[in-house]
Amino acid sequence: MKIFNYKKSHALFKKAAEIIPCGIYGHYNPSPLVPAAAYPFYTASAKGSHFRDIDGNEFIDYMCGYGPMVTGYGNPKVEAAAAKQSKMGNCVTGAPAVMVELAEYMTDLISCADWAFFAKNGGDVTNYAVMIARAATGRNKILMVSGGYHGVSPWMQGEGHHGVISEDKKNVITVNWNDTAGFEKTVSENRGEIACFISTPYHHPTFCDNEYPAGGYWQQIEAVCRKEGIVIITDDIRAGFRLDLRGSNEYFGYKSDLICFCKAIANGHPISALAGKKELMNAASKVFYTGSYWFSAVPMAAALANLKEMKKINAPAIMLEQGKKLLDGMVSIASSYGYDLKVTGAPSMPYLRITNDPSLMLHQEWCAECTKRGAYFTSHHNWFISAVHTDKDLKKTWNIVDDAFKVIKKKFGNEF
Amino acid sequence: MSDYSLVKLNYIRLKEKRGFMNYNLVKANLNLYAVLKNLEDLTIHDKEMKELINSWDLSIQFIVRNGPKAFIEFKKGGCIVGQGRYKSPSIILYFFSPLHLNKMFDGTASPIPLKGLSKIRFLTKEFPKLTDRLSYYLKPENELLKNNDYLKLNTIMLMNTAAFALPEIANLDSTGRIIASHMPEGIIEMKILPDFHSVNITFGSGRISARKGKAIKPSAVMAMKNVQVANAFLNGKTDPFTAIAAGDVVIKGIIPMLDAISLMLDRIPEYIS
Repeated sequence: MKIFNYKKSHALFKKAAEIIPCGIYGHYNPSPLVPAAAYPFYTASAKGSHFRDIDGNEFIDYMCGYGPMVTGYGNPKVEAAAAKQSKMGNCVTGAPAVMVELAEYMTDLISCADWAFFAKNGGDVTNYAVMIARAATGRNKILMVSGGYHGVSPWMQGEGHHGVISEDKKNVITVNWNDTAGFEKTVSENRGEIACFISTPYHHPTFCDNEYPAGGYWQQIEAVCRKEGIVIITDDIRAGFRLDLRGSNEYFGYKSDLICFCKAIANGHPISALAGKKELMNAASKVFYTGSYWFSAVPMAAALANLKEMKKINAPAIMLEQGKKLLDGMVSIASSYGYDLKVTGAPSMPYLRITNDPSLMLHQEWCAECTKRGAYFTSHHNWFISAVHTDKDLKKTWNIVDDAFKVIKKKFGNEF
Repeated sequence: MSDYSLVKLNYIRLKEKRGFMNYNLVKANLNLYAVLKNLEDLTIHDKEMKELINSWDLSIQFIVRNGPKAFIEFKKGGCIVGQGRYKSPSIILYFFSPLHLNKMFDGTASPIPLKGLSKIRFLTKEFPKLTDRLSYYLKPENELLKNNDYLKLNTIMLMNTAAFALPEIANLDSTGRIIASHMPEGIIEMKILPDFHSVNITFGSGRISARKGKAIKPSAVMAMKNVQVANAFLNGKTDPFTAIAAGDVVIKGIIPMLDAISLMLDRIPEYIS
């Protein structure tokens, strides 16, 4: 099997490091890719479920741009809608008409949505949701799950991180995932002060197993929040449209007051959305919130086309099914080499870990070997399956997986 | 130090003055437990200092009121720096406060000798030769770093200081405590290739300890490609993200542990430079 090299990628990075902080910043920074040398840094092109790096290596993409790609890179329907809108105008004085059409479509599609608001990034709408909850309740405190990720505003980041001051975290309190007793205790200790509970529909932190809600968890949380007047904000940025097109809260059987979408909404075109109940629409109107590109029409047209396409093909069902098929095969191959490949989270965005080595070093080696053979696997983050990962992709992936297990078995023998 | 570093440091001192922080206590612990520890490697790797201590057979106890306690033992040509009390030290140096100790380290105050008055000559003439040499290695000028021997010892000391400072930052610095509270249990190994120098730090059951040398089964590893890379990295001349992506520093294992110590290490320059 051919082993990739990344000479051009790594040379370009050296140039970038001179003029861009970190060379590549944020979640695309290569430092969690272990070892970084096993990964490409720069993309040249992408089509369907594949991308090609600047060294000419082609990968089956199991990160999907960290989530946005859902109906295939360069999806003809989405791109045609975007191109059509682009000809008509993108950032123009005055709001685009397609914005109303998109809001209408989303309020029909999303079960808890009586209205929709559009921005650019996930963090735009999680922050807006919290501001709306504060405006509506007159309360200050934000309740969130420990280890939950909601973006990069200072209140969302960990204390001690650069640029974050203790005052930023003053009104943020945390509870552990799936700990309903702890949740009730925290609410009781802060009675009348908590504006909102912001949480992902299931717990998907990096570097550790993802966790579904325990039986009855969300229903208990919902009951406490209703009783105490706490706004429920579902951060569906990552899981949105990969479990249920109506919102992931429906998948887990609870109602959101506000729900945040981004990543998969427009198949890579830059747009995020906050949808909410009519009871919060007045508060949403009063919070002043905007951005230079939040009225750009092209991403709105792309989102509309993408949502329609996802509905037409029932994209979540395809992703869950293809994900399960892929993962079942991989677990079986791992087992044949004596490795326990543990899969957690939704099959459409699974987190994997070889449990034989709790330090993750073995898992990191294996992911790196797979990537160098053309299946782009990260070891720190959940993966993303799209609706266009084909059986052919899966078959090729299984071959790569097998080859990579062979390599690490040879390297480590029976150490693990 | 950049202008902004100075602004930041002055602000920290202002907060300390207003009673918001344990600035002097943290600094005193770092001075005694992390900086002074470097005497061990100084007397191994610097030929002149090795000869200087060769005939010394005595011990010095440092006692800081409301602060840390440490000792130095010179015996059979070796030097050991430890935490806590030393049984029957030859010399006891007393400090009224962490600030008093820090002033001594800055060269603006003297300790109170409680025991070993007969060794005043040693304290005023011989011992300063060693501490002056330590300062020389810990305050590198760019010109000095061109000397390979100097670079090597400075790098060893930087790594030791980082490792032994971590427990103090994690336990005493208010931000460090918050970061450490999220730290998974396990052992972090930091090393300079090829097999040049290693330290390891254990985080477990609320206790954090640093040691020199490799770890048997580390949970996370940070390996620096060579001494030059390590020196630039530990001196804060390169940012970790770029160094890792460029392959100059290789990390593996439980990466959140390395993220956390990176944040804690960034606290050190706020106390000692």
